Amino acid sequence: MTNPYVPLLFLAACGVGFAVVSVLGLSFVGPRRYNRAKVDAYECGIEPTPQALGGGKVPVKYYLTAMLFIIFDIESVFLYPFAVAFSKLGLFALVEMVLFILTVFVAYAYVWRRGGLEWD
Amino acid sequence: MTSGGEAVLFWILAPVSVLGALGLLLVRKAVHVALGMAVVMINLGIFYIAQNAEFLGIVQIVVYTGAVMMLFIFVLMLIGVDSSDSLVETIKGQKIAGLLLSTGLGVALFAAIGSATFASPIGLKEVNAGGNITGMAVLIFGKYVWAFEVTSALLITAALAAMVLAHRERLTPRPTQRQWSERRFQVGKNLAGLPAPGVYARRNAVDTPALLPDGTPSEASVPRVLTAREQVNDPEPYAGAERAIEREIEEGTNR
Amino acid sequence: MSLIVSLAAGAQNGVHAIAPSLASADNPIADFSDTPWWLSLIKALLVFVFLLINTLLVIWFERRVIGRMQQRPGPNRTGPFGLLQTLADGLKLAFKEDLTPKNADKVVFLLAPMIAGAMAFISFSIIPMGPVVSMFGHRTPLQLTDTPVAVLLVLAVAGVGVYGIIMAGWSSGSTYPLLGGLRSTAQVISYEIAMGLSLVAVFLYSGSMSTSQIVASQKSLWFIIPAFFSFLVYVVTMVGETNRLPFDLAEGEGELTGGFHTEYSSMKFAMFFLGEYVNMFTVSALATTMFLGGWQAPPGIAAINDGMFNQGWWGLLWFVIKLWSFMFFFVWLRGSLPRVRYDQFMRFGWKFLIPVTLLWVVSVAFIRGAQLAFFGESTRTATVIVVGVISLIALAAAWLWEGQHEAAAVPAERPEEIDPFAGGYPVPPMPGQRLREPSQQAERSLAGSTGHPELSDQEESRG
Repeated sequence: MTNPYVPLLFLAACGVGFAVVSVLGLSFVGPRRYNRAKVDAYECGIEPTPQALGGGKVPVKYYLTAMLFIIFDIESVFLYPFAVAFSKLGLFALVEMVLFILTVFVAYAYVWRRGGLEWD
Repeated sequence: MTSGGEAVLFWILAPVSVLGALGLLLVRKAVHVALGMAVVMINLGIFYIAQNAEFLGIVQIVVYTGAVMMLFIFVLMLIGVDSSDSLVETIKGQKIAGLLLSTGLGVALFAAIGSATFASPIGLKEVNAGGNITGMAVLIFGKYVWAFEVTSALLITAALAAMVLAHRERLTPRPTQRQWSERRFQVGKNLAGLPAPGVYARRNAVDTPALLPDGTPSEASVPRVLTAREQVNDPEPYAGAERAIEREIEEGTNR
Repeated sequence: MSLIVSLAAGAQNGVHAIAPSLASADNPIADFSDTPWWLSLIKALLVFVFLLINTLLVIWFERRVIGRMQQRPGPNRTGPFGLLQTLADGLKLAFKEDLTPKNADKVVFLLAPMIAGAMAFISFSIIPMGPVVSMFGHRTPLQLTDTPVAVLLVLAVAGVGVYGIIMAGWSSGSTYPLLGGLRSTAQVISYEIAMGLSLVAVFLYSGSMSTSQIVASQKSLWFIIPAFFSFLVYVVTMVGETNRLPFDLAEGEGELTGGFHTEYSSMKFAMFFLGEYVNMFTVSALATTMFLGGWQAPPGIAAINDGMFNQGWWGLLWFVIKLWSFMFFFVWLRGSLPRVRYDQFMRFGWKFLIPVTLLWVVSVAFIRGAQLAFFGESTRTATVIVVGVISLIALAAAWLWEGQHEAAAVPAERPEEIDPFAGGYPVPPMPGQRLREPSQQAERSLAGSTGHPELSDQEESRG
């Protein structure tokens, strides 16, 4: 086996095939009886709202969560090769990494102080 | 040049990528645009992996598909389900300026890439000799250390920008549960909280008010929103049915 | 708190044992050269079937164990011991009507469960389930494949899997799914960071991200000992990642009904369900691989008969045992803990897990640096000094933190007598307190300062 990603594709094909067959194929097995209430949005026992909350809009605070996620994701992406090659990099890389983490920590501390990590 | 497997992969995924990219331009719904873009990002990652840049490919998927596109999707969902592109210019001359700038960028890129000269490649075997990731790490933490450290400054900027754009400062501290309760007592109204909506034998939902001791529906037991939307249910039929049943039991009517 | 204090002490014990066992490159050491493509295909099918059967089993297992924990039998009618219950439920789902709400975005609504169901399987391909065995005349490792970035692949697939949740929540065109999907996404991405960071300590010890090499470098010592804090963080984050109790905020029935899959029915719903359980297996298998020595036999058994139990198909047994102990742990959690509140959950992730795990990673890097003679030739002395300094810092931090907490939690002065109407509204007395009543005051001024023992007793019992 030359390429290690080929078996991965096999398993992915199994998963995708199974999902497609059961969702598309088996959707014709069940009964189909139309009922207006069935296709309405679900709201516990009350008349459903015509649209999702606020017209299906996402609250803006999730933007902040996603941005923080990107920041830490990038930080950890740098940590991976650092950790793997640590034995060959030497002391200098360790100092670099500590500097890097400290700098990103400034951003983290700022967000914390301004209350960006509060959820209510 | 390329092995058979890689060619097959390319000819399958390249059209998919192009379709995704075209979708970015042509599809009307904003979220579909973002999903098309996510497909392009994933395919890019797979292309990197196919060319033995494994770490780069995985990171492309982790960072771009997993994080950056998630941000995009959040932003696009901010503007709602049914929104599509608006063709009204908010800044005058926006279209012409955009066109000019992008043409300029294209010319500059073509000129720069066209005139670049490449040294003869030393081959993937050599590059990946100590392991793909180790080779990468040696470059990041050796030759390109300055770029690496500057990235952290970029991340600070990103955090700052996100806070400015999306964070709403709370001017007063959030009242705790205790403070709410104390306030209720000071005002002297609804000391035990608002009453719960009515629970009847045949209905148990927020739109049906509970009954007060004298039998009248309690206004406070249904959400104000439902009252404003005029969706409040009349409890009489449910309560009435209940009373009939109770009477039946009490009187012991024969069936 | 004691976690941080004992953080450095534990790391000191075991790290010496691993250091020399590092290979030179970070490439996988599992040898797939004798594995033809058709064998890979068979192995892929086997892994797929393994996951499906295990999912069927674990749902039954969960319901039975939860039942026992709640003093009831659990499903025991369909098949022997109720074993076929899940299969029956699955068939029933297939014969249910497939609804698409009229507000839904049809394409995305259809794609979301497929992504959730299909993505879950992919990660399992890099999990080493045993050593080299003979299959159909070929010597091949009991692992579908391995790459230099294997562990990152799991994180990447998890990142793509989140799309299933967010797309489902958004495309349903209904309030509950939208809120549930958003919560779920925010939760998964928040805990993904802490999860990724906790794995960095393991990479520092193993010097590779390939799963076969990580298992191989745990030959002498499982990483749960030198990287014990990472293990704890990983266990917390894996529950958060899979949206399981006590972190299943996305489907808090009381507030959001079913969360992101409220509007789904029939096989589409089954896909989300399947995805959740396969994800549980994936994160548990990764925990086994990263911290519990993968398929290797437990220390005592491994030494028997010159490592006999570490050969061939025995590995699969140890792997399955470790995997299922994690599954039991999941069930146990569900049986014992109530759901966490959303803001508490996010605060714990962002304000505790992420910064503390970062600090832990830096500490481990320093300890590794000392072992690799970054701070001078005498590695043992350097390690001891570094561990000492780190534990001192951890102790100091713990002491400061505790002090701050104590300062904040100083009990308010509690007078012997209270005036119940001092704040403008009636307040019941605390234990040991007496109510000051106007009549009582007048009485006392007459009777002197001795008080009324029987009255204070009465008050006490009421408090």
